[in-house]
Amino acid sequence: MAFLAWLSGSPLGEWVSGSTWAYPGLLFLHTLGLGILVGLNSAVGLRLLGFAPQIPVADMEPLFPYMWAGFWVNAFSGAVLFVADAPKKAANPSFIVKLVLIAAAVVVMRTLRRDAFPRSGVALPRARLLAAASLALWAGAITAGRLMAYTTALR
Amino acid sequence: MITSFAVWLETTSVSHAITSHSWIWPTCETLHFIGLALLFGNVGILDLRLLGALKRLPVAPLNRLVRWGVLGFVINLLTGVVFFVGAPTQYVANIAFALKLIFMLLAAVNLAVFYVSGAARTVIRLGPGDDAPALAKIIAATSLFLWVGVMFWGRMLPFIGNAF
Repeated sequence: MAFLAWLSGSPLGEWVSGSTWAYPGLLFLHTLGLGILVGLNSAVGLRLLGFAPQIPVADMEPLFPYMWAGFWVNAFSGAVLFVADAPKKAANPSFIVKLVLIAAAVVVMRTLRRDAFPRSGVALPRARLLAAASLALWAGAITAGRLMAYTTALR
Repeated sequence: MITSFAVWLETTSVSHAITSHSWIWPTCETLHFIGLALLFGNVGILDLRLLGALKRLPVAPLNRLVRWGVLGFVINLLTGVVFFVGAPTQYVANIAFALKLIFMLLAAVNLAVFYVSGAARTVIRLGPGDDAPALAKIIAATSLFLWVGVMFWGRMLPFIGNAF
């Protein structure tokens, strides 16, 4: 775990925890990315679950680049936030749960894009199930992320 | 006056109840972020369409998604009230909180302009590929700017002000 301590003591780690604006700025970016990714994902998911049935499903595919943009904003802002406080975050059970949920949500998102927007133009039946799973997984990731502030290291 | 109201509110039993049950605050925070995503995503999709991205989407059926955005707003209004009642004194003298409310008010004015100007009635007729009129684009861009601003000021509550 020397590596985690080294991370938080690195110039980047020192900058985030020392500068007045770095930490709040990164938290804001992390919230913005969340809004874009989870928000647009909810629109796609709700459509696939049958709400807003008049929206042509195929025309929602161009949302994916925006969702991925939100994802990368959060991957980077999250990585920098992690560096600043690496030993504590790595030991926080909520953080581990959050990462697992995000990994699963990313797999579901990629599968969903393939199954809901196939070349044939007709979404596969399991796209509904994937849509429900992606809504639940992102909501779970938000919950675990929020709870990081309330849970501490397991000893 | 607002400060004495906040001080009084903080002495009420409902305010005490909110802060004395340790699960209430984190639960409301979680819901507040889920509401944020619902609002931003399902209103943002309409804004993006009007601005010319996702142009193949017809506008009228996006209405059904906007309802989920409204649900997100209601969730955040309710959970926001819980935060305020639970710890009012940390918000009333907080510049970030004032700016957050001002941005929300401006978003409401922007929405009113959308309906009163007739832009809402015009865009509802836009089919796949149709370009939105300039006024609708300005309203859409303003909506995105203001909601990002609401998020920004909300996130700054603990840093510019001293809210937890």
